Amino acid sequence: MNKRALVSLLLPLAALACGRSEPSPPPPTAAAAPTTTLPRPVFVASVTLGKELGPDKKVLAPVDSFGPKDTLYASVETGGAGKAKLRALWSFVRGGKTAKVDEKTLEIDANGPAVNEFHVAKPSGWPKGEYKLEVFLDDAPQPAATKSFNVA
Amino acid sequence: MADEKDDDMPDFSDVQSGASSTAPVAAEIYVVKSGDSLSKIAKQTYGDAKLWKRIFEANKDVIKDPDKIFPGQKLKLPRN
Repeated sequence: MNKRALVSLLLPLAALACGRSEPSPPPPTAAAAPTTTLPRPVFVASVTLGKELGPDKKVLAPVDSFGPKDTLYASVETGGAGKAKLRALWSFVRGGKTAKVDEKTLEIDANGPAVNEFHVAKPSGWPKGEYKLEVFLDDAPQPAATKSFNVA
Repeated sequence: MADEKDDDMPDFSDVQSGASSTAPVAAEIYVVKSGDSLSKIAKQTYGDAKLWKRIFEANKDVIKDPDKIFPGQKLKLPRN
C-alpha cells in the first residue's frame, strides 16, 4: 500500500479519535436515467374526408359521399415530430380493379401535431362509383390509413 | 393471357390536385399524368403557367428537355 492510500485510511480514524464526526456520505444511488427522450416519429392519427376545409385545414363536415362536381378534401392529422413524407393516392374502384385518380406527396418537417390537407377536383365531373383514398407514410408499402367513399 | 388494361375505366387526366400542411413543407411531389406539361402543372400549382421554369430548374436531374415529361415521373414542386 502506498503512502497516500495509507494516509487516506488513517485520516478518518484520527478524526474519530479526536471526537470530531464527519458528515456521513449520502447512500449510493442508482445512476440517474437519462432524461432526454427522442420525439416520436411522425404518425398518421386520422383521415377525414369532406367538401370544405376550415382555416385550420380540418374538414368542416365529414362525409363519405360526394357529388360529381364536388372538390374532394382529405384532412390528414399527424402526430409526432420530424421529417416525413405523406403520400395521398386517390383511386377509382370498379369490379375489383382500380384506376389511379391522382397521387400527391407532401414532405413535411413536423414539430408536433399537424393537419395536412390533400384535395382533388375534376372540372368535367367525377364519374359515379366507388373510390378510395390511401395515405402512405414515408416509403411504407402499406397505407397508414385508407378511406372509402363514393360519388353518387 | 388476358390483357390487364381495363379500357372501360374513366379518364382522370383532367384531375386537378393540391396539398398543404400546418407543418413546414419542404416540398410537394407531383406525379406526372398523361397530357401534363410543365406549364399546365405550374398553372395548377402556382396559378401561373409562366412559372414552369421554376419546376424545370428544381428537376433538372430528371428533366432533360422541358417539353418532354412522362407519365409516372415524380417532380418536386418547390415552395417559396
